Amino acid sequence: MQFFKQLMALVRLNLSGITQRLGPVLTVVIGVTCAVGTLVSLLAMGSGAQRQAMANVRPDRVVITGVGAQRDMPLDAAVTIRNLPGIRKGVDGESIVTLESTVQLESRRRVTGTRINFPLVGVSSTVEQLLPELRLTDGRMFQRGLYEFIVSNPCVRQFTGFEIGARRPIRGNDWTIVGHFDIGAAQQCVAYTDVDTLNSAIGRTSYDRATLMLSSPSDFEALRAAALADPTLHVEVMHEREAVELWFKQLNALLNFVSYFVGSIMAIGATLGAVNSLYAMVDSRRRELATLKAIGFRPGAIVVSILCESVVLAIPGALLGCALGWALFNGLSASPFGFSFQLAVTPNLAIIGVVWALVMGVIGGLLPALRAARVPVTEALRAT
Amino acid sequence: MKYLPLVWFGIWRKPGRTVLIFLQVAVAFTLFGVLQGLKTGVDHAISDTRADLLLVFSRLSRGEPLPLATLNQIKTVPGVRVAIPVDLFGGTYQRPTQWVLMVAITPDKDWTSAFTFEIPPAYLAAFQTSRTAALATEEIATKYGWKVGDRIPLESTIANSDGSTVWTFHLVGLFHDSDIGGGTEKILIQYPYFDEARLTHKGTVNHLNVAVQDPRMAFAVADEIDRRFANSANETRTQSLRELAQLNMQSIGDLNFLIRAIVAAVLVALLFATASMMMQSLRERTPELAVLKTLGFTDRAVFLLILTEATAVCATAALFGLVLAMVAFPLASKFIPGLSMPPIVVGVGIALAALVGLVSAAVPAMGAARIQIAAALANR
Repeated sequence: MQFFKQLMALVRLNLSGITQRLGPVLTVVIGVTCAVGTLVSLLAMGSGAQRQAMANVRPDRVVITGVGAQRDMPLDAAVTIRNLPGIRKGVDGESIVTLESTVQLESRRRVTGTRINFPLVGVSSTVEQLLPELRLTDGRMFQRGLYEFIVSNPCVRQFTGFEIGARRPIRGNDWTIVGHFDIGAAQQCVAYTDVDTLNSAIGRTSYDRATLMLSSPSDFEALRAAALADPTLHVEVMHEREAVELWFKQLNALLNFVSYFVGSIMAIGATLGAVNSLYAMVDSRRRELATLKAIGFRPGAIVVSILCESVVLAIPGALLGCALGWALFNGLSASPFGFSFQLAVTPNLAIIGVVWALVMGVIGGLLPALRAARVPVTEALRAT
Repeated sequence: MKYLPLVWFGIWRKPGRTVLIFLQVAVAFTLFGVLQGLKTGVDHAISDTRADLLLVFSRLSRGEPLPLATLNQIKTVPGVRVAIPVDLFGGTYQRPTQWVLMVAITPDKDWTSAFTFEIPPAYLAAFQTSRTAALATEEIATKYGWKVGDRIPLESTIANSDGSTVWTFHLVGLFHDSDIGGGTEKILIQYPYFDEARLTHKGTVNHLNVAVQDPRMAFAVADEIDRRFANSANETRTQSLRELAQLNMQSIGDLNFLIRAIVAAVLVALLFATASMMMQSLRERTPELAVLKTLGFTDRAVFLLILTEATAVCATAALFGLVLAMVAFPLASKFIPGLSMPPIVVGVGIALAALVGLVSAAVPAMGAARIQIAAALANR
């Protein structure tokens, strides 16, 4: 009990002196701010990309891909997949299954003129029931059998040649853009056309994957078991969330590695700065600390009080860092890996930033605190 | 020069503090060195890639097959020295997660000049004698413990003439791919054998590698190839290896912006840390400085003394940090190939550090220069 009384008194004493030590205090705060700000901003790329990818994920959508190197499925797998159990039936009584076939096409950026790839995805006619978030904003839906496709609005904003009526040659035939659409909050450039028209135009004899809608999310296991038990199907069955995560795993691993690598180095720098500032503070207060010990304050209370001060200084740094990261980078559009997304500074990242700062504060305060506790009373009081 | 001992003693007045500042600056410039090394490494890697090596892909999409018949048309284009068909297919070794890329090529005369592979002559000869021969990269051979002479079964989705999806190759040698973007988990096999044995997609290739006679003509040759296939069912897109490398790097994107932002944050933090330390240090040394002035040191001399101290510590610490980064490069090259640090980065780094030292010391040094002897000594 006495320990806490002493501790509170010491902490109050320390904090009341903060305004007189503006230089060292600013060093700690700004060092932590920069370290946390950098870490949070870098992590915001990963979380932004992930948020974007997960924006339209639904628990009742399932992705089926082939197994093995090419991950494709023969055309006759379509019928088998449509007859799997647990699939929701559309208004016409047909299973809501969309078979997809994707080719990467090339376009140019509006501003810089650099080339960028975008996917042209062939889809079945059930796509409108499968993707209720798909909403035509202009023009009309593509028709089966015609060389037509629709593109998402982000394409139109970022790249050239996506106006309605624009033509694009594919394998010697002209394809026309007939509509623009939004798909939920997604910011990706994607184009849709009819899968069989696309496959026959490019001479492809397989589908890349199938996406389907479950009657209810709980039907997943039954569907999966049936698909794996069918000897004619060689497929993998995943929740839409798993499929997206699989796709993002590598990119996220890279982004996280870079973020934590740079964040750690900056944290080491900030910690060294904090150690230095607190050492200076302890040095300049040798007399005061010795006096405190002489009148009966315990070394333990002194150690903890200095740790408290260091942590208290780290927290505004962390908050400021998060705030700066949010103000400067949140919502900023970036396309560092060939596809665009908005950086997202989320509460989760802020928590990581604060924890990061607390660790810096504790490590930075430890050595100076121990030195403070070891100040020899007689020598320090005699010191000038 | 005669003030050098004075500077030296100033620096080591509080060894603990100086070591911490030194470490802090060193850490900051290690980061600077690694980031800049990454950037220049990427730039160098691009300019090192071959501009005289063209890759002919389907214009529709990189993954779309081209008919083998395009080869003869490409060979007639003036300026083409060697044209080699390439097909790619993936397989797995023993476990579904152990990926191996199979690169099927036709070992025509002088074929290696159309690739970035370095193959010892003995292995090259052995590869040409057997249809089921394969060459593996050194990296993948080490990873799976393959030795020359082994038979390697690979599972793939493409069926061969036996109806089986297992392809077995005879490893006759190892090679090294000097193109850092080329990936290491791959083996070379013979296209004629592969094409004859597979059941589907016969007579198609993924792309063609073309070596041109004169690197200066590479663009003209590329345009001519694409022109010949324009408006056909198999339109092509021909790009040099260097162009492709540039495109890949562009997709990594705003690397420069990112690096600049981080470096700026590092420097700002550093500036505050060193400035506050200098102020603290000079406050403690006020009486000593007053003594110096009593002995006849001018304001200017005291000012310069302090500046020299700060700059010397920062610059040597930066040098130490940059050396540390350079030592780390060989370790990091496993993850990021091609890291390098040209002298200019070292120069810029040290200059930046000196600047940090100067700026952070300027205000405290001015204060020190303005010390009133009587007041400072009386303070004691």
